[in-house]
Amino acid sequence: MEYAKPLPQVNADTRPFWQGCRQHLLKIQKCKNCGLLRCPPAFICPECLSSEVEWVAAKGKGRVYSFAVYHAAYQPGFQDELPYVVALVDLDEGARMITNIVGCDPGEVYCEMAVEIVWDDVNETFSIPKFRPLQK
Amino acid sequence: MLHAVGALESGACKYVLISYGHSARSGDSMLRMLSDMTGDEAIYGHFGAAGGYALAARRAMHEFNTGPDSWKHIAVGQRAWANLNPQAMMYDSRLTDEGYMTAKWLIEPFRLFDNCLISDGGRACIITSVERARDLKHPLVTIMGLGQHNPSGDLQKADYLAGPTGARIAGEAAFSMAGIARDDIDACQIYDCFTYTVEITLQDYGYFEPSGGKDWFMGGTIEPGGRMPVNTSGGLLSEAYHMGLTPLTEGVMQLMGRCGPRQLGPETNTKTPEIMLCSDNGGILQTHACYILRRI
Ligand SMILES: [Zn+2]
Repeated sequence: MEYAKPLPQVNADTRPFWQGCRQHLLKIQKCKNCGLLRCPPAFICPECLSSEVEWVAAKGKGRVYSFAVYHAAYQPGFQDELPYVVALVDLDEGARMITNIVGCDPGEVYCEMAVEIVWDDVNETFSIPKFRPLQK
Repeated sequence: MLHAVGALESGACKYVLISYGHSARSGDSMLRMLSDMTGDEAIYGHFGAAGGYALAARRAMHEFNTGPDSWKHIAVGQRAWANLNPQAMMYDSRLTDEGYMTAKWLIEPFRLFDNCLISDGGRACIITSVERARDLKHPLVTIMGLGQHNPSGDLQKADYLAGPTGARIAGEAAFSMAGIARDDIDACQIYDCFTYTVEITLQDYGYFEPSGGKDWFMGGTIEPGGRMPVNTSGGLLSEAYHMGLTPLTEGVMQLMGRCGPRQLGPETNTKTPEIMLCSDNGGILQTHACYILRRI
């Protein structure tokens, strides 16, 4: 069945990120000058303006900084998933990313909840990083 | 506003028109503007401004124990003002605490009435020199203080979602320029894209401590007859969404005494205002402007 939700709009900044995802590697940009980890990818560092960058693999564990539970589908592809959870997750390495929390009832999600990555292989090109409650 | 004052002070012009008009309700341009704001967040089903402010509001619930019990006072209080304003979209529609609490969730923690309206219409205001304004037919309203602060461009880097937002520094700058204290303010017109925006803005201006909002709003503080009227047209939540011009023009009109049944003063059992605070913000709490106005 055709994937009905928006797909990544890959550009020169984000290509290494999505290539990493396809291999189930969560690759985060790290500023070579000041060490800042940044998400989403960008061509200069927002702190020191350096364009020197390396990609580091994050372990895929973190905590929920905040979350929102969508009870309305603003794009038809999400209709069948209502209610679903969008979250900001603080990775243990320090970067914060936007993602979904899956694998539990939306009512069970809370700020500072420990989560781990789970990969959603949505088609032959893209794997999307999502998070679920940390399994014991 | 800062640009307008700069253009006037430099002598580049004599009058500045700040205007906004939009067929946002009958057309699709507002939805297109909001979807243009969305980048790869759409992959996760994250859209528009409501999603971002919902993330901010949820973090605030975690950090200082706010929530719907605080926000209902804002939605219900502003609706009471709209019920006095025949121009308001919600003029004929009453809202009770129960009506607020039983409305459907949109993006939790926001229910329907936590969200602003989408409106057709417009607003405008003209700024000129005090000397010129003295000759015009309406009472003179001056700008006492201005402040701006724009903390970040990126939601993922945002550590101010639960405050302090840009309102903290912008407010301090405006009060400092005006040379007055918070208690000198007679009423506030706060940019209210969502109920939570009103709470965090007033909190960052120093009206109450974090988690003190619920008590501060209780008992009709911001409503007709209350001790600190807020958003006296109904605001973006209950009058009409015309960006920052909804709060700004209402502040000016109230000081001029042009507000009819909702006029601050004896008609609404409130103090006749001399000094008014107005705010505006943009993005997901990413930019903030504070204006303090005075009737002379
Ligand atoms: Zn750097």
